[in-house]
Amino acid sequence: MNAGRTPILAIDSVSVAFGDKVRALDDVSLNIARGEIVGLVGESGSGKSTLCRTLMGLGEATSGTVRIDGEPLADRLDRDRLGFRREVQMLLQDAVASLSPRMRVRRLVEEPLHVHRLPLAAGRARILTLLKRLGLPESSLEKFPHQLSGGQARRVAILRALVLQPEVIVADEPTAGLDVSVQGELLNLMMDLHAEFRLTYLIVSHNLNVIRRITTRSVVMYLGQIVEEAPTAALFRAPAHPYTAALLSTNPVVDPGKRRVRIVLRGEIPSPIHVPSGCRFHTRCPHAQARCRQEMPDLRALGDGRKVRCHFPLAETAGLA
Amino acid sequence: MTAFAATRATIARILSGPGGIVGTIIIVLVVGSAIFAPLVVTHDPDALDILNRFSGPSAAHWLGTDNLGRDLYSRLVYGARVAMMVALFAIGSALVVGTLLGMLAASLNARGERLLLIVFDIISSFPSLVLALAVVAVFGPSTALVTAIVAVTLMPHFGRVARAQMLTLRHAPFVEAERLIGASPVRIALSHILPNIAGPLVVLASIDIPVVITIEAGLSFIGLGVRPPLASWGTLIYDGYAYLSDSRVPVIVASAALAIATLGFTLFGEALRDAVDPRLDREGR
Amino acid sequence: MNPDLPMITIRNLKLDARTEHGPAHILRGIDLEFGRGRIVGVVGESGSGKSTLVSCLLRLLPSNIERLEGEILFDGIDLLKLSPSDMNDWRGRKIAMVFQDPMTALNPLFTINTHLRDVLKRRFPQISAREARERSLAMLTKVGISDASVRLDAYPHQLSGGMRQRIVIAMALLVEPDLLLADEPTTALDATVEAQIVDLFDQLRQDFSGSIVFISHHLGLVAELCDDLCVMYGGTIVETGPVAEVLARPRHPYTRALLDCEIEDDHGGRLATIPGEVPSATWAMDACIFASRCAHVADICRRGPTVLETVAIGHKAACKRSREVLP
Repeated sequence: MNAGRTPILAIDSVSVAFGDKVRALDDVSLNIARGEIVGLVGESGSGKSTLCRTLMGLGEATSGTVRIDGEPLADRLDRDRLGFRREVQMLLQDAVASLSPRMRVRRLVEEPLHVHRLPLAAGRARILTLLKRLGLPESSLEKFPHQLSGGQARRVAILRALVLQPEVIVADEPTAGLDVSVQGELLNLMMDLHAEFRLTYLIVSHNLNVIRRITTRSVVMYLGQIVEEAPTAALFRAPAHPYTAALLSTNPVVDPGKRRVRIVLRGEIPSPIHVPSGCRFHTRCPHAQARCRQEMPDLRALGDGRKVRCHFPLAETAGLA
Repeated sequence: MTAFAATRATIARILSGPGGIVGTIIIVLVVGSAIFAPLVVTHDPDALDILNRFSGPSAAHWLGTDNLGRDLYSRLVYGARVAMMVALFAIGSALVVGTLLGMLAASLNARGERLLLIVFDIISSFPSLVLALAVVAVFGPSTALVTAIVAVTLMPHFGRVARAQMLTLRHAPFVEAERLIGASPVRIALSHILPNIAGPLVVLASIDIPVVITIEAGLSFIGLGVRPPLASWGTLIYDGYAYLSDSRVPVIVASAALAIATLGFTLFGEALRDAVDPRLDREGR
Repeated sequence: MNPDLPMITIRNLKLDARTEHGPAHILRGIDLEFGRGRIVGVVGESGSGKSTLVSCLLRLLPSNIERLEGEILFDGIDLLKLSPSDMNDWRGRKIAMVFQDPMTALNPLFTINTHLRDVLKRRFPQISAREARERSLAMLTKVGISDASVRLDAYPHQLSGGMRQRIVIAMALLVEPDLLLADEPTTALDATVEAQIVDLFDQLRQDFSGSIVFISHHLGLVAELCDDLCVMYGGTIVETGPVAEVLARPRHPYTRALLDCEIEDDHGGRLATIPGEVPSATWAMDACIFASRCAHVADICRRGPTVLETVAIGHKAACKRSREVLP
């Protein structure tokens, strides 16, 4: 593996269909380089959960390939399933529910050691170090998951992942359900761990403030497709896809000086069983034209590292491209 | 709440209603006399005293004697022992085998799952009496056989519940999380799913105890179960019937013992079910 | 009714719940008043008591209440003294509620029409079936449901989450309540749908004469939608006043800290947090409720609890050092 060059995760034209009708993911391509922090934004039904599941080998792609260090995921799982699990870890959205309810934290955090047959003494020492590092009291080892607060449960889930010394962490809504006062603590911790262990993050969140603050590149999904991908700062400064623009404009902010003109979209994200013809967003797009109804736009590069799936991208019409 | 505190809370909830209290008292008496049978009996249950047959209740024979002059009270106590042994072994093996098969069914592919479900259906559509007749015709009656027959007929019961429970948990976040750290399916099933489905299954088992007691008594009554001279509530009733014109006492006390034990286990089972089922929590309303 | 009097006046509302570890003080003396035509945003983190406050206004309380004192005056009538049947009547007439999950308010076995008709029948017993249908249609259109006549005959599961929440809002508005309570009404919805519902609330204020109490954990949302803001912490109100004023010049360190936790920029650096935890509900509060986490805590803060004091017109904060630390 030629580190640095080959993306650690490469998603290449991946589609996932359930039965004949539902296309949960449609031709999704995304490369994530080692050490990158990529944000994934989208509403329910956008396919972001399916993408994560496919990436983690919990579901299979109908077509296309997921590559890890250049090797197809299916091959990697056949050859070295446990090795893959050590390399790529995922934090599930509901941290409390993701901890086996009848086990004490001690057993939960030691379980990865048993599963991967890692040396116990070294592993236990590592757990104690991580416990301190994550700000968890040692007494929490004797607790059951339901005795933990939301923030603590998330730390335990992170600890369980870190025991395996992963290189990539996929985090599904890492701050969902957390109070703002705890949210900052968790994000600080995730950033510290990124610097310390040179982790690669894929962060799925509907919280645009979180995405904006901690990711370097953002991907916006709509109805199974990537509609826009850009460096985070550029994306938030000047969204090119009308959907991105609407999404960003609806983000409520406290500071009146930072409010955008709210673009309220009509209707809701259509069912993946009845995908609109042409551009999938045309039914709700304030700028839709005849061409959008017939012809599906390609995801095309706009320069400055931006890709957009739109016939009439906003930045271009505004003369910013 | 620790597991210990949870158990204590469950016990407290069982004892919070009259049904639970009565059931628990009966169970303690029945199980206690089954375990300590040699200590609580007044006579050897098999000792004959032909001269004293059909003696009514007296200081020497608390409940009187039967057609061969055996002490009815002592035979009832040993009958409880038989009933409890059959219930313990039959339900225990049905619970273990049924649960494992049910979990296996939930983990297999669609064809394997259907095959197992068909096996469950065939077994449960087969009346236990007919099965018992067929098996006894081949092997002859015995206590072990009664136990085995009851176990087989109850097994699908647990199998179906275990399968349904496992299906609901299969995509629970904590199961998904275990897959993500690389835990094998067997490990996930045994150390993560099983502890979470054990509760409902144990409740089910407790509700099945009275059923097993009556099946054993029924089979023994028609001569397909426990063989004389071993005392079972079923054989006691059977023996009593033959001499009904001489004395009604044996039939009445044996039937009463059977009825009270059944009632006790039913009340306890229902109280246990309510105690562990938050949906039946009456306090929230 | 005297229009100058506030519609709702809550005085020293205290609520204790029974727990294994002794009484838990869920509400520790709430004082709040507001007039008609206001949208009052109530924000607070988990354990702040904001949802319990709403339950008190509805008088739908859990059974483990040990103590409930104080008064909730609604146009001068103390809700806590009403008989259960009178309170029930108020709930269908003067107070309506929109929950976080619309399915808790919708029965999957009945059509939308049945839901709306039942609400109308209860409120206006004389209403004819035809008029009920007409009013329902008009209300559905008003809350932004297209094809209202088709949707009227639909069942809840045939509608999307956003549409269900619109139906629930329609049900609440048909009652023509004086007080509409909304507990995190957009939390379960997607961002673009949330924007639609917020927009709907924004439009409703035009011709809704009553007041709305809008509970949220999202400061930004409250900032955009509400007139007044009420910040709760540990079962107390720590600051209340006009939204713009409170957010521009917070006078309680907790409000200030909450605002600092909002990340609305892409500056690098560490994110603000509020170290520590909310005091246990069983704590007797012999000091300022926020003392254990406050960056400006001094001896004076630990001498007895603080009370809400006026810091500007209509703006109150419960901080003894407000003038010193947040001038």
